[in-house]
Amino acid sequence: MNNTLLSVCIALLFAIGTFMILRRDMIKVAIGITVLSHATNLLIVSAGAFLGGRTPIITSEDPGSSSGIIFTDDLANGILAPIIPKGTEMVFVDPLVQALTLTAIVISLATTAFLLILCYRIYQEHGTTDVSEIRRLKG
Amino acid sequence: MDSMQHVPIILVALPMVFAAITILFRSKSGLQKALNIGVFAGLFVMSLSLLLDVWNNGIIVYEVGEWGKYGILLVADLLGASMVVLSSLISLMAMIYATDYMDRRALDTTFFPLFNLMAAGLNGIFLTGDIFNMFVFFEVLVLSSCGLIVLTGRGDHTKMADKLEAIFKYLILNMVSIILMLVAIASLYATVGTLNMADIAVKIAYLAETGTLPWHIHVIAMMLIVVFGYKAALFPLHFWLADVHPSAPAPIHAMLSGMVIKVGVYGILRVHYLIFHESMFMLQPVLILLSLVTIAVGATSAVGQYDLKRLLAYSSVSQIGYVLLGVGMGTAYALTAAMVYLVNHAIAKSMLFLATGETLYHAGTKDIRKMGGFVQSAPFLSVIFLIGAMSIAGLPPTGGFFAKLVLFDAGLGAEYYIPIGIALVFAIFTLFYLFRTWLSIFWGEVKEHDKEDAYKTRNPTIAIKISLALLACVVIFLGVYPEPLIVLSSTIAEQLLDPQPYIAAVLERSVR
Repeated sequence: MNNTLLSVCIALLFAIGTFMILRRDMIKVAIGITVLSHATNLLIVSAGAFLGGRTPIITSEDPGSSSGIIFTDDLANGILAPIIPKGTEMVFVDPLVQALTLTAIVISLATTAFLLILCYRIYQEHGTTDVSEIRRLKG
Repeated sequence: MDSMQHVPIILVALPMVFAAITILFRSKSGLQKALNIGVFAGLFVMSLSLLLDVWNNGIIVYEVGEWGKYGILLVADLLGASMVVLSSLISLMAMIYATDYMDRRALDTTFFPLFNLMAAGLNGIFLTGDIFNMFVFFEVLVLSSCGLIVLTGRGDHTKMADKLEAIFKYLILNMVSIILMLVAIASLYATVGTLNMADIAVKIAYLAETGTLPWHIHVIAMMLIVVFGYKAALFPLHFWLADVHPSAPAPIHAMLSGMVIKVGVYGILRVHYLIFHESMFMLQPVLILLSLVTIAVGATSAVGQYDLKRLLAYSSVSQIGYVLLGVGMGTAYALTAAMVYLVNHAIAKSMLFLATGETLYHAGTKDIRKMGGFVQSAPFLSVIFLIGAMSIAGLPPTGGFFAKLVLFDAGLGAEYYIPIGIALVFAIFTLFYLFRTWLSIFWGEVKEHDKEDAYKTRNPTIAIKISLALLACVVIFLGVYPEPLIVLSSTIAEQLLDPQPYIAAVLERSVR
């Protein structure tokens, strides 16, 4: 049920973003780009969110600790955590997609900041934020 | 050979480190020039040694952080290494040229850091073995080139308002294409559960063998064609190039048209020929059709232009069509032709753009109709421009002749008669508009007699002459002795069509 809701939500965000980048106002275009990049981030996260998966965070009251999994390093005995015994099945949510999303968020932060400064400079030079009036390069 | 092992990471990390270091010496432009020329010369030597090493000892895989195939790998195979050599050569020459060309204000502020970042982005794209990492380097490349377009040089007659408009188009369209790429990568990851390109290739080949290849793999392949086609200015996505590239100062224009649009071609060669073997049967006809339209649209638009930089930008659109035609035909010989064409076009076009920047400075205007008779006041530039024009038009004894010869030969061998016929017709267009341009700039009468003295004071400096002459030597060398390039390209083509050595080199690693 959750996955359907999530998919519909992502699709709606893509629709809103696409609509916004087709507007004439530069700031609306910038907002559209931001919405699109958030929709993409959600899509990446949803690629790793399986139903019934647990978060890949190791806590002290983790139920896994009773199943022979070693979570703490013991360098004297040459143990590098985590060690999962053979046969134990762990259904974790994929942690990689969250790292990917983090990277994508940082990159979209940089580009959005650059884009907003650019919009301001264009407003200074052209005196308008209407994209259809900024067309000196045509031809 | 142990020290050679770290060359791939140095090629990416060194320019990144220098991007930070050059900010510290902002106002000492004399020191900056010497330092950066030294760094880029070092990068060029290192990339050459990397290519030699890969040629002799096979594919080099560098594990960043020793995580095996689960981490980010840098893979230097022949394609990647030769693209790095090409980009290092062009960025070295553009850097030498830029030290005398760019404004003092640009040199003292952001030029050197951003140029270093651009080189890091290019090397990163060509060396990475991880598809998400490729996306990150795309963003590095895009943002740094946006910052570089805004700078001004001495022959640059574009107003700041126009530059900002061009950057706005470039940035918005790039971000949309990057978002599309991210969606494609996320879908690919959700399907096969890995981001390593060799690993993806193995898994998709396995799925195809067992007949359980999901249909959306083809959709992902098409989305990535759109992304790379946008980067390479393929026909329906080419419209931004003629606005953006002419707004940049000459060295950056040379980098953008010489190297940055080749990134799209590299992406198709790397990703589609490695991963999406199964989808190529339906993508190849589309690629051939679109590249023919690209050739036609670029050439006909160039014929009608009087703005010199815009004319050459449309010429780039047309020429990238020829490269993608070779990529689309997809036989081993055609891929060889595409690589030969790519290298020749990158070198000749960047030389032509560097010469154009100097010509515009000499003329004091962008309009071809107001120029004339420069062969007396600027004989050096006229020779360089002529060599560049001959190479792009495909006349012997320059490299462009062999590029076109091999491409048409490959097309006829694979029985693509109609596409090659269309390409030949537009090759004549290329000949026409380039030589009309050369004649009207350098031949004929001097248009403004009262300014004749002004021409004498606006001549190229030593650094600019050196970079132009070296590039011209390379172009002539590729024309009189094309054997090494053709052998290298045919080996690359074989490796592209049989990616097994690449996959084996990447996956047979010890995992910690």
